[in-house]
Amino acid sequence: MCSVRITRVFLLLSALLILSACGDNLFPSGEDKRPAIQPGSTGPAAGQKAPDFTVSDTGGNTVSLTSALASRKGIVLYFTMWCPICDSHMSHMRDKIPSFPDIGFYAVDYVSGSVADAAASASANGFAGSFTVLGDTGHLLLNNFQATMGSTVIIDSSGVIRMNEDYRDGSRLSSVLAGLP
Amino acid sequence: MRCCMRTAALLAAAALLMPHTSWAGSCCGGGSPTSLIVPKFARAIADVSFDAEVYDGFWNQDGKHTADPPRSDLKQYRLNLGYAHRLAQNWQAGISLPYVWNENRYSGMSSSTSGLGDTTLSLWYEALDDESSWKVRDLSDLAPAVTLGISLLVPTGISPYDDVNSSFDVTGRGFYRLDGNLLIDKTIQPWNASLAFTYGTHFERSINREYGAYTEPYHKDLGDRLSASASVGYRYVFGTGGDTLTTTVSYAYLQEDWGSINGVTDTTTGMEKQSATLSFNYANLDRDWSLRLAWNHAISEDGWGKNFPTTDIITTGVRYVFR
Repeated sequence: MCSVRITRVFLLLSALLILSACGDNLFPSGEDKRPAIQPGSTGPAAGQKAPDFTVSDTGGNTVSLTSALASRKGIVLYFTMWCPICDSHMSHMRDKIPSFPDIGFYAVDYVSGSVADAAASASANGFAGSFTVLGDTGHLLLNNFQATMGSTVIIDSSGVIRMNEDYRDGSRLSSVLAGLP
Repeated sequence: MRCCMRTAALLAAAALLMPHTSWAGSCCGGGSPTSLIVPKFARAIADVSFDAEVYDGFWNQDGKHTADPPRSDLKQYRLNLGYAHRLAQNWQAGISLPYVWNENRYSGMSSSTSGLGDTTLSLWYEALDDESSWKVRDLSDLAPAVTLGISLLVPTGISPYDDVNSSFDVTGRGFYRLDGNLLIDKTIQPWNASLAFTYGTHFERSINREYGAYTEPYHKDLGDRLSASASVGYRYVFGTGGDTLTTTVSYAYLQEDWGSINGVTDTTTGMEKQSATLSFNYANLDRDWSLRLAWNHAISEDGWGKNFPTTDIITTGVRYVFR
């Protein structure tokens, strides 16, 4: 009798737990819910003006949005926390760099507390010479671009964000970069 | 008594062999724990376990092992609730629910998040029973127990496609997966050997949001998943009381193919992992109650995995069999 009660309680709790999940994963939506963008506004979304930033790279140089865009068609910011997926994305992206000589490729390390730690991670992961690594120790870039692991941001020469989404398979990155004026 | 001991051995082996789907708390979401097998002449089984998973670097896509960032401390904890019920003489069904805590500390950031993980629903058929676990008289006594099963992973966890702020919030993968399972087990007291195989396929889904930000909708699928494990166990009997301690060592191989985006292969995905487990299972005379302690270790060397974190998982669990 006791075991029957336990069984029922367990099944009831299980059902409640599942129903309480309420995420979009049980019934995924393919509806386009992107909000409309106010032209000329500054923000993290594609179509908005990129927020300005000034941070240090692992070489000790100061990098700002203006200096990064100088004499380039655009820049790519890739947000990394030096994880397996990040490594996979960065390796994939590294192969694309020679095809876009007018683009600046930056890896943004938002988990290291110092530029020295960021430099050590870049070296340990084998990307020290491939990307300019920015130490986002104050999370300026992370917050301004509402980024997370794998976020890939493309900013054109006029400072407008052309893409801000997960790296996925890199195909969107290539097509957006190819379409830059 | 003899039957109870045999089914208890099968039960213990099944619990130890079902591969853990351990995912990085920081990047890939929480996993679902073991499947449960109800002993032959029992009505049901309930299981509660706790996993403490400690991260120690990762293998990159070339299989090179790489350390985590300096001064980082990455952990995931999981409380797993499991229940399985006998439906008929050879049929049983089970459910397994994990609750996940992600604890990530870096030199420049820390995060503590939690949530329900992905749920596993299972249906098992006992195709063949191990009829002789005590003495081998002829070749037929070597026949193992064979159990076939299907499992559905239900994405009840928090995935990157939910309304979350960052990857640290993730406790699930966000995809349904259907697995076919095969468990082969043979006990010749005091030894036990088991093989377990699972092949699973994910279901493609629509995505219109990534980490809380709506994006142009697209379709994504994860790759098919294969896991295999082998184990050998030895059972000690304490004095004349009948309590037992079973020590088991096992090896597990886990591999997931490339996924796809809008039908195009995504070569940045896929993974491979090899690990070893040492476990101890203590059961009372009636085998109603059992306690277990396990240590799963991923080999933190080049060539033992690809595109996946290397971790150590300590599991403690308690199980009760309803007769």
